[in-house]
Amino acid sequence: MGELGINLPSLLAQLVNFGILLGILYLVAYKPIMKMLDDRANRIKESMEQTEVIKDKAEKAEEEIAEQLKKAGRQSQAVIDRGVRTGEEMRQKAQEEAKKETEALLARAHNEIRRERDGVIDDLRREFADLTILAAGKVIDRTLDKKAHRQLIDKVLEEGTELKKGG
Amino acid sequence: MPERKILGTKRPIFIIGVVILLALTVISFLAGALGQSFFGDIGLPSWLSVDSPHPELPAGEIFSIGGFAITNTMFTAWLSILLLGGFFYAITRRIKLVPGRLQVVGEFILGWLYNLCKDAAGEKNGRRFFPIVATLFLFVLVNAWMNLIPGYGAVLITNSHGEAVHLLRGANTDINMPLALALVSFVAVEYWGFSSLGTGTYLKKFFNFGPFFRSLGKLLKGKVKEGGMGLFNGGVTIFVGILEFFLEFVRILSFTFRLFGNMTGGEILLLMMFFLMPLIGALPVYGLELLVGFVQALIFGGLTLSFATVAVASHSEDEH
Repeated sequence: MGELGINLPSLLAQLVNFGILLGILYLVAYKPIMKMLDDRANRIKESMEQTEVIKDKAEKAEEEIAEQLKKAGRQSQAVIDRGVRTGEEMRQKAQEEAKKETEALLARAHNEIRRERDGVIDDLRREFADLTILAAGKVIDRTLDKKAHRQLIDKVLEEGTELKKGG
Repeated sequence: MPERKILGTKRPIFIIGVVILLALTVISFLAGALGQSFFGDIGLPSWLSVDSPHPELPAGEIFSIGGFAITNTMFTAWLSILLLGGFFYAITRRIKLVPGRLQVVGEFILGWLYNLCKDAAGEKNGRRFFPIVATLFLFVLVNAWMNLIPGYGAVLITNSHGEAVHLLRGANTDINMPLALALVSFVAVEYWGFSSLGTGTYLKKFFNFGPFFRSLGKLLKGKVKEGGMGLFNGGVTIFVGILEFFLEFVRILSFTFRLFGNMTGGEILLLMMFFLMPLIGALPVYGLELLVGFVQALIFGGLTLSFATVAVASHSEDEH
């Protein structure tokens, strides 16, 4: 044993050394580093779970947005339709009004024309009767009673000529 | 024309390097004992030749405190404790969730050792075994590698007895150190065995007389064939158990002398190579010793781990 160098004090000293090293390493290495490794593993696990949750949320949100977009699309389509319909109605109303107005205008114009024509016809008749009476008077060389004969002429004209009033 | 490169260096530099290496080889061959035995003394300066080594197994005393001898191997063991403690203290003083470079190194080493324990013994037992196994590994490894620092064995001091002793000597080469570690390993393994299985169950692994006496009972009741076979099996079980019991103690010896032998042999080999062929001759041995140190540390830690795993495994052979 002596040749090999085994002796109790040295052996005990090395045992104590091992104990000291174990204690030191436990305090400065194993405990903090294992805790750190565990913490990190937990942290990573947590963040992965969180990522999963966030992904789910994002997916849901995306679906919701798509749904809302669809809804908004439908709504805007409805608004547009209503607008188009209103426009159409307004156009029709305007058209009808314009038509009515035109007709009224036309009717007024017709009346005007007729009245003017009647007036012209009246004047023409008068002129014609006067001329006829004048001519007839020249022919028979005497003055005809303008008033008596005018009635006659008017009657003839009313029956025979084309210069009818209100035609 | 592009510059020609050999092994990543410019050609002239490479050639100079090869020449220096060859010159060193020749000089170290001629200066060493090997060359001197071939060619005799050719007048090389005396500082080149190395004295014949006189390896001594007992550790040298460097000083004593109150009659207690402090040996050089104790001193280097303290140095290794300081080194390991300092290294890990530097890491964990400001430990961060997002690690720095040094912290990554420390975490890698301990993470690797922990995974070793976890893979062998499972999560729960792995955590129990880890501190002892890791400390055994690191202690053996650091002491083995510290021994390889050039100039480690060159510092001589004179102690109070007037003897010239090495100030530094690899702690693994003093048999007290491997023996202490082997005892730690033995005590730890037995403790884990007792505490995991309970005293009775653990001892039953070694002293299992149950099957033998049950078979004896059957034999006495007249079931000759069944009882006879059982008696034989029971006898074998007792024999194997007692063999295993002694093996538990033999492990102390095998642990001690495996480490001691490898480390001491490595050191003597290094000294001999220095003596035979200084400078160049010892280089390959350094590489070899780096590997041996790692392997011995791994064996010490790994065997402790596997013995512990076996010790805590409940073995229920007589139930079938």
